[in-house]
Amino acid sequence: MRSEELISRLARDLRPVRRLPGPLALTAAWVALAACVVGTAVLLMGPREDLMAHLAAPDRALPLLAAVATGLLAGFSAFQLALPDRDGRWGLLPLPAVLLWLTGMGWGCLADLARIGPAALRLGASFACFGFITALGLPLTAGIAFMARHAAALRPGPVVALGGLSAAALASVGLSCVHHLDAALMVLAWHGVAMLCVTAVAWNCGPWLLRRLGAAAPRL
Amino acid sequence: MSGAMAIPSCAGLGLLSGARATAQDRHPHWAALMARAQAGDARAYEALLRECLPLLRAVCRARLREPAEAEDAVQDTLLSLHRVRHTYDPARPFRPWLMAIAERRVADRLRRLARQGGLTPPVEEAEEPREPGPGAEQTLADRQDTARLREAAQGLPPAQHTAVMLTKIEELSLAEASRRSGMSVGALKVATHRALHALRRRLSGED
Repeated sequence: MRSEELISRLARDLRPVRRLPGPLALTAAWVALAACVVGTAVLLMGPREDLMAHLAAPDRALPLLAAVATGLLAGFSAFQLALPDRDGRWGLLPLPAVLLWLTGMGWGCLADLARIGPAALRLGASFACFGFITALGLPLTAGIAFMARHAAALRPGPVVALGGLSAAALASVGLSCVHHLDAALMVLAWHGVAMLCVTAVAWNCGPWLLRRLGAAAPRL
Repeated sequence: MSGAMAIPSCAGLGLLSGARATAQDRHPHWAALMARAQAGDARAYEALLRECLPLLRAVCRARLREPAEAEDAVQDTLLSLHRVRHTYDPARPFRPWLMAIAERRVADRLRRLARQGGLTPPVEEAEEPREPGPGAEQTLADRQDTARLREAAQGLPPAQHTAVMLTKIEELSLAEASRRSGMSVGALKVATHRALHALRRRLSGED
């Protein structure tokens, strides 16, 4: 088929489409969705009774705020990268928040070390943390992938990976509200590994997932 | 290319600077057509795609050697554009949006060709597609200029046509052009000078 003929066919079959909302509006919708899911999980599991005291401690609040920022910025950069004409460097947007999270956790480790000595550096198993973040993070990743499914023909891997990072970071915030895991090293290890796993799975499955979800323009 | 050739070559392409400015002015027009296409205006959509087709062909042919592959990449781009047409924001320029899709489809095809082997470009070209930056835009504009120069040269007398094709389009040295055409270097210089003069008048008349 000649390209001119293809153009005629595409024009003949043209239907009006609903213009995609901007990345900011999509991020707001995504955060609302994620907040509902994570909030429901927190309510079902019951928030830890010392939550307010936990949040008042700077060495606990800083990583938590950094995780919230990671969730927001990674979601926003995913919706930016999902658009054809956006610079690839949008993908670096969550990096400062991730670094802040790591710094906050490092600070927490040092504070634990000063408070309770070498016992603070003992690394135990906490599969519940891993399970919570992956159990919430993976379905939420599918949710943000659906919202950014127009990226199927563009940058499916990076878009879904950033979506996965956003989902895992927000799930990690929820976990911090329910789980009594106060040793910073444990949080760093288990939250970090779980977030990394969700992001890696999202990166690898992104192209396949977006192909499944389809990228056809939504009609009016 | 000799230094003596560099100046007339640039001058030849410079003839089309007016045409390039006209192409730049087309952006808002394309954005308006795309906005109407999003609302379901099939006529605006067809007009837009037909206007974009030469640009898409130039981009794809610049990166893919095989004409059939380039045309396939053009059609892939058109199909992708159709699928994601709702992602275009009419407040932003249309051309970068279109170019990003085209670069992506060309990169896909280069990757496929690299996997298949044979008449393929280097694998490194199939890496992450370049952002359509000013360098790419300049290359593209130069190619469009060359295409327009080639088209305009069709109406020249045979000697002038041969001279301008060899020295400006193929950018051969005067010695090589003389060897290929059988014309003397002096005759080539005169014919090229006259051809450029005629083209300058013709193209400024177009604008």
